[in-house]
Amino acid sequence: MGWLIDLLPLPYTDAVVVLGAAVLGIAAGVLGALAVLPRRSLVGDALAHSALPGVAIAFLVTGAKDPASLLVGAGIAGLIGALMMVGIERTSRIRPDAAIGVVLSSFFSLGIVLLTYISGTGNSEQAGLETYLFGQAAGLLERDVAVMAGLAAGAIACVVVGFRPLKASIFDRAFAASIGLRVRVVELASTALLVVAIVIGLRSVGAILMVAMLIVPTVAARQLTNRLSRLLPLAGVIGGAVGATGALLSARAEVPTGPVIVLTGTVVVLAAVLLAPGRGVVWQASRRRGERRTARSNGVLIDLETALHAGPPPTAAELAMASARPARDVRRGLRDLGRAGLLEHDGERVRLSESGAAAAHTALEGRRLWSAWLEHGWRLDPGDAREPDPRDLRGSLGDDMVERLLAMDAAGRP
Amino acid sequence: MVIVLTAGLTATACCLLGPFLVLRRVALMGDAVSHAVLPGIVAAFLIFQTRAPLVVVLGAAVFAVVCVLAIEALRATGLVAGDAAIGLVFPALFALGVLGIHRYADDIHLDLDSTIYGEIAFAPFRTLDVAGLELVRSVVVMGIVSLVNLALVGLLWKELKVTSFDPEFARTIRIPPRVLSRLLLIAVAVTAVTAFESVGAILVVSLLIVPAAAAYLLTDRLIAMVVISVAIGWFSAIAGYAGAIRADASIAGAMGLSAAVVFAVALLASPRYGLIARSVRRARRRRAIAIALDPTTPEGAS
Repeated sequence: MGWLIDLLPLPYTDAVVVLGAAVLGIAAGVLGALAVLPRRSLVGDALAHSALPGVAIAFLVTGAKDPASLLVGAGIAGLIGALMMVGIERTSRIRPDAAIGVVLSSFFSLGIVLLTYISGTGNSEQAGLETYLFGQAAGLLERDVAVMAGLAAGAIACVVVGFRPLKASIFDRAFAASIGLRVRVVELASTALLVVAIVIGLRSVGAILMVAMLIVPTVAARQLTNRLSRLLPLAGVIGGAVGATGALLSARAEVPTGPVIVLTGTVVVLAAVLLAPGRGVVWQASRRRGERRTARSNGVLIDLETALHAGPPPTAAELAMASARPARDVRRGLRDLGRAGLLEHDGERVRLSESGAAAAHTALEGRRLWSAWLEHGWRLDPGDAREPDPRDLRGSLGDDMVERLLAMDAAGRP
Repeated sequence: MVIVLTAGLTATACCLLGPFLVLRRVALMGDAVSHAVLPGIVAAFLIFQTRAPLVVVLGAAVFAVVCVLAIEALRATGLVAGDAAIGLVFPALFALGVLGIHRYADDIHLDLDSTIYGEIAFAPFRTLDVAGLELVRSVVVMGIVSLVNLALVGLLWKELKVTSFDPEFARTIRIPPRVLSRLLLIAVAVTAVTAFESVGAILVVSLLIVPAAAAYLLTDRLIAMVVISVAIGWFSAIAGYAGAIRADASIAGAMGLSAAVVFAVALLASPRYGLIARSVRRARRRRAIAIALDPTTPEGAS
């Protein structure tokens, strides 16, 4: 551990905090996926709150504020909370969110009662027990970081070893049970791993902000990959980077570490949700705009072809009059078609160029195929696993099916 | 006595809304809102330099609404699951609040304890002058909030019911589920924010979820669920107060704990859905099957 701290070009105390935050981020990233992917993200919330009575009882038992025993207390209480949560869910009609809420508020109430009781006993050591809830990264020692790193390494090793059963139970419980996995054991193990992550984080960022640390890396990584085997390491990396960056920023600005780490993570998630390639909100919007534009151009192209069929080349205004679509759309469609080199202008009048005629032919055929599909598609029985894709009927159905469709369509017309 | 009355009224306000949260599977919204309002409280203090309750409640309410809308927006992208959206938004807002406290309000008395734990024990000492009558403020405030919630639930009973159980059907009969759910969550936010000041956040979270969950174990009828959950709320307030006085412990904590005990009893002993009743039923069924399959029983005896 020492050499890593020396390696960082930072004052010693800052280096310890940054390293601790990075370790926490990596652990929370990898282990958080076990809660986020099965849609139980807020389990971390309940576990983090259940730690409070554990801390209080550990203090009552040992009578001293020894970090190790307090964390063990927190861990045990978290595990009990997790078991009760699963128990309530499994044995009654209470749904997961309410089970989480019941356990969370019950344990936290118990914790507060215990804390007031402790402060009533007049033990002078008790001051500051609640910092375990709000976190205090600045107080991290090199020894703490070493313990955190050891715990994190152990937990991540468990995930690597148990990757396949974990994967099966995360994505498809019924399937996992059908191949003989003990789903309950696997789920219990993954909850225990979550508890480890929370114990690692309690000291440094606190219970409430720990919730975000478990969720942020997985949600961000999920935008970038669809494979669990890539998501887990990616979440670890994102978590570590968020932790280290947040800790650095907070050391610079001399503000509390936990909140800065969480806000850094929030920015990362927002960026991922907005910008993720092929998936983010911005990408979706631009793709939708592109699709809308193509549809508009195709429509105008067909309108123009129809008009040319019926009479002399129309002006833009005449075409707009004849078309069912708004004049503005026709103008824009003509502009796009002109840019693509599909039009020939004859003064005010518009004609199709050679490539334009070909494009209009394709568009007409596509429309005919589409209406044939709408009308007769239900009679089509490919007899195999072909799935029709409305955006590319010919490609997805195959030429033989398309011929049959067009034949049905032709037979249906007078 | 005043404390019990305050807590009871808070319980009424919360337990009127809780059942809908539990049925709609958004039970944790109360928890989320309770943390998300922190920056609002800090901002109200910074801007107006006062801890006047109305200002603080307004600031908090603004951020409660921000929280609800942000969660909805994140969910609407389709890229983030609903529970993850909750878990992303409220810690971020909470972090903002903690930073705000640290940065600007460190030297003044605005500590986390008084916003998170709340102090119901001080409720009797904050009074209000209404037409020459000296009234306890928290009782008045929570009474008003309870009445508002009662009116809301009463007037929109049919709409809330249908959107809770079958949003698709609601849409077909022109009742917009999204508007209703937004309205409900805003009511929860306002209730939570006003109640924090009187009883503290954790008790509000408890009262929103636990009595409703217990009532859900006891009945299949919505009206009964609401009534039972309000009753459990009042019972927790009274029992918790008595327990806290006897053990000299946190009143809010003890009230939350009594609600938890009621839930545990319901979980075990509910006549229809309780663990005991179910295991008895199972044992009886097993015996019936054993008798039916027993070759020594004479034909047609069972």
